[in-house]
Amino acid sequence: MKYELVSGLETHVELATATKIFCSCTTAFGGAPNTHCCPVCTGQPGALPVLNKRVVEFAIRAGLALHCKINTVTHLDRKNYCYPDLPKAYQISQFDKPLCEHGYVELESGKKIGITRIHIEEDAGKLVHDRGFTFVDYNRGGVPLIEIVSEPDISSPEEAREYVEKLQLIMRYLAVSDCKMQEGSMRCDVNISLRPEGADYLGARTEIKNMNSMSFIEKAMEYEYSRQAEILSSGGKVEQATMRYDEHTGETYVMRTKEDAQDYRYFPEPDLPTIIIPEEEVQKAQASLPELPLEKLKRYRDMLQLSDHTARQLYKYKAVCDFFESCINSGASARNSANLITGAIYSRFATEEQKEKFSLPFDAAQFAELVKLLDSGKINPTLAQMTLSKMLTNGGKVSDYISTEDVKGVDEGELEKLCREAIAANPQAVADFKAGKEKAISALYGYIKRATQGKADIRAADAIIKRLL
Amino acid sequence: MTATLKQLSRLLRDKEISSVQLTRKYIEVIENRDPQINSYVTRCFDEALLAAERADKMIARGEAAPLTGIPFALKDNICTDGIETTCCSKILSGFKPYYDATAYKKLKDICAPLLGKTNMDEFAMGSTSETSCFGAPKNPRDLNRVTGGSSGGSAAAVAAGLAPFALGSDTGGSVRQPAAFCGVVGFKPTYGAVSRYGLIAYGSSLDQIGAIALSVEDAAIVFNAVKGEDERDMTSRKCPDIGELTGDIKGMKVGVVSEFFEGLSPEIKGAVERALKGLESCGATICEYSAPSLKSALPVYYIIACAEASSNLGRYDGIRYGFRAQNYSSVDDMIIKTRTQGFGKEVQKRIMLGTYVLSGGYLDAYYKKACLLRESIKEDFNELFERCDILVAPTAPNTAFPLGYTQNNAVEMYLSDMCTVPVNIAGLPAVSLPCGSDKSGLPIGVQIIGSPFNDSTTLNAAHALELCGVSKCKPEKGGVEL
Amino acid sequence: MSISVDEIKWLAKLSKLDFDDERAAAFSGDFDEIVEFADRINSQIAGDTTKIREVGGSEIAFADLRKDEVKESLPVEKVTSNVVSEGGYFTVRRVVK
Repeated sequence: MKYELVSGLETHVELATATKIFCSCTTAFGGAPNTHCCPVCTGQPGALPVLNKRVVEFAIRAGLALHCKINTVTHLDRKNYCYPDLPKAYQISQFDKPLCEHGYVELESGKKIGITRIHIEEDAGKLVHDRGFTFVDYNRGGVPLIEIVSEPDISSPEEAREYVEKLQLIMRYLAVSDCKMQEGSMRCDVNISLRPEGADYLGARTEIKNMNSMSFIEKAMEYEYSRQAEILSSGGKVEQATMRYDEHTGETYVMRTKEDAQDYRYFPEPDLPTIIIPEEEVQKAQASLPELPLEKLKRYRDMLQLSDHTARQLYKYKAVCDFFESCINSGASARNSANLITGAIYSRFATEEQKEKFSLPFDAAQFAELVKLLDSGKINPTLAQMTLSKMLTNGGKVSDYISTEDVKGVDEGELEKLCREAIAANPQAVADFKAGKEKAISALYGYIKRATQGKADIRAADAIIKRLL
Repeated sequence: MTATLKQLSRLLRDKEISSVQLTRKYIEVIENRDPQINSYVTRCFDEALLAAERADKMIARGEAAPLTGIPFALKDNICTDGIETTCCSKILSGFKPYYDATAYKKLKDICAPLLGKTNMDEFAMGSTSETSCFGAPKNPRDLNRVTGGSSGGSAAAVAAGLAPFALGSDTGGSVRQPAAFCGVVGFKPTYGAVSRYGLIAYGSSLDQIGAIALSVEDAAIVFNAVKGEDERDMTSRKCPDIGELTGDIKGMKVGVVSEFFEGLSPEIKGAVERALKGLESCGATICEYSAPSLKSALPVYYIIACAEASSNLGRYDGIRYGFRAQNYSSVDDMIIKTRTQGFGKEVQKRIMLGTYVLSGGYLDAYYKKACLLRESIKEDFNELFERCDILVAPTAPNTAFPLGYTQNNAVEMYLSDMCTVPVNIAGLPAVSLPCGSDKSGLPIGVQIIGSPFNDSTTLNAAHALELCGVSKCKPEKGGVEL
Repeated sequence: MSISVDEIKWLAKLSKLDFDDERAAAFSGDFDEIVEFADRINSQIAGDTTKIREVGGSEIAFADLRKDEVKESLPVEKVTSNVVSEGGYFTVRRVVK
């Protein structure tokens, strides 16, 4: 029997606020143990949570970008469970009144993955087990999270990956999170069940916890699919369980089964009043939403006439888009800007992270100057590349590398003179060209380039040479 | 002469006595008298004298606030930077907070010397202060009786003249009932009027810091000093200052709700009726009402308080502070052993009840119902306060129990809170003040209840009872005399 | 209503308290008493309990939430001042016999 995969994801995204969700300690990643702490985030007796406004703002932005309805009257709840990384023995989260509900993420196929809810909550601290000791560090405790819960609309590992990538990109566009999976600022729990193809019921599901890489998500889903399919096809029953994925073996294993399910005893957090969000705030947030990734990709292709490949290479990185757009806004052409960015500039960035950061020793205005010289034919692509390369290495302005002299180029009379010289100096190449070897003419180009240090317009030279021959 | 705050403040300002001298007087009587009463569990005399020195300078500079230089006591569940704060529980033994509760900080900032931390029921769970890990405090009016609870140490210290005022906390009557049992004034302000930051939580939606003193005016002075919206407590709110109490209550409508009077002993009923007559003689009119929802107040209180407590007390796991069990086989085992050995019986019982009413199978049957009933109690109070200005009720249906009595009468102990818990459920201000005594000479308390943030009206009506001579409050002999 | 020993043990597990069979049995009488007491609400109410109401019931406007401005955290010596710590960590030895 063929089985179809039914999957939903719970994605935790750390919000890029300056302070924690309930206290004014920094959210900076790392730091010596317990140095980003206070009575509130270490659960000292008598300490009380004070909700960070920006957490609510960011969550609303995230909700609106995912087409959610915003609950303008909302509250927080306590989720009670005891674990050493949770200093109060409860996590302040949201239960029956999440901030955002009923949204979706659109995949490129046009399929929509439903978003059940988005709620705000606090992160736990970190445990380190070593030498027979458990060491507890609460620096991460109280860092704000949103949990984005999807409907079980995902039907393949590839879709899961695209969904997570889209979420990541949207969150980055909104600047609400850096979504670095390797640092744990984005993590996923994956729910998986199987059912016979075409069936309309849901099978027993397992949940794989805490996935922190796209490829692990795919691999774990593939593994879990075959594991469950094997059980089902041999007539067995899938047991509802919480699992962990072992990235070394590539297998999933059971952490706990339904029998030892938790009872979280949710109840409204009495230390925090009900939050009343004025409708205007939501409208304001809606109006301030940036262009979202898919819209941008479409615009780059359709309006700016970039190739699909180039457009994708740009839209994946928020900082690149900002740079690119600021450049074309100052009058540079989209095509030349995009080509230089994805060519010369990207060649300097080895990692995705560097492209995400996109830190350059010059600003977009300087870059635009260079592109405009290229656009107008005042310099040729070779000189543009050379100049850009120097700017990337040493920083500075376009005028540091290209003089007014250079920009003038070579005038028509001078160029014709050079062409005649080139013909005279390369009799063999001329003969070959005349004999039909089109390529032979490049030797003449080379001569002209050398003679003008790349300043001559080769297209113009080409026309002259062909006329002379 | 009875040392009321008003008088002490005047003496200090007129330099008839210095804060250091005054503080020494209290230290001396505490050393002499407290071994019998056991109202203080931690003493911080050195720090108190240093604060007194600073206070004297402040007074000399003419910068004194009304409570500058006046020593006081603090319930042991209010956090004090560097000074042990244990909730009278083994599980917090040795715990020294590194932050101040906001209410305490306000007193510290005006140089009121803290004499020490007072005895209480473990985690404020009880009505007799007998669940303290330091042993029960004794009622200064009769050393064979309980002080009431849970702020029993605070009430006893004030009644014995071992502190001119004290702060307590009131979750279901824990300021008012011990004040009544010890024959002093206990004021529980509107929920949110005093910051809860640094008050170790029992039932967060019910907890409120309150004042225990020898007069209503004194309670008002203390309240003015500690109240206020606090950026560290999102449930705190602004509350208007209590101005000069005039006791003028002409035309005031006083409500009497029959549910508060059910099953009362004639002695207590009689005392409260005398108080009502007193109010009438001051120009108030008395109206009778009924509020059937109050019948569910006690179970509603126990469900909500214990539910919140079961969650609030989850953090005592031996990892970050307090007691940690020896000999364990895993981190989880350490946590379980720490909690089992660290919490007393009553606390464990309430944690278990709280867990029970919140757990999956019972949430609807208990916790959610309690929340709904809480709403109807609030609505009933709202309606009552549309028809009258204040309510008058007994503070407790009984006077101080003999020591040890409630051990085998747990339900009777729970029932003794029936007149005080509705006030917490609705977050109202209420003051208890003495209104006579029973045949064994034990004090009886009467309670004046106001509508939210009308703390001023509430205290003014109580003050009228003092002015007309119904309510008198004197510390026992052996305390500080001037 | 009487609470079974198994139920008491389940609650104890959630509460992180140790109630072995013996202690659970001894506790059940006490616990029944307080549960019966709580049960009194059931004679006071019938009807809709589907919506949980706000406990405390107070509200706060969005504008009054805390500003996202960093304040200095406490020195780690203070944070860990109530325990014996190592390298700034809170520590628990995993097994102690």
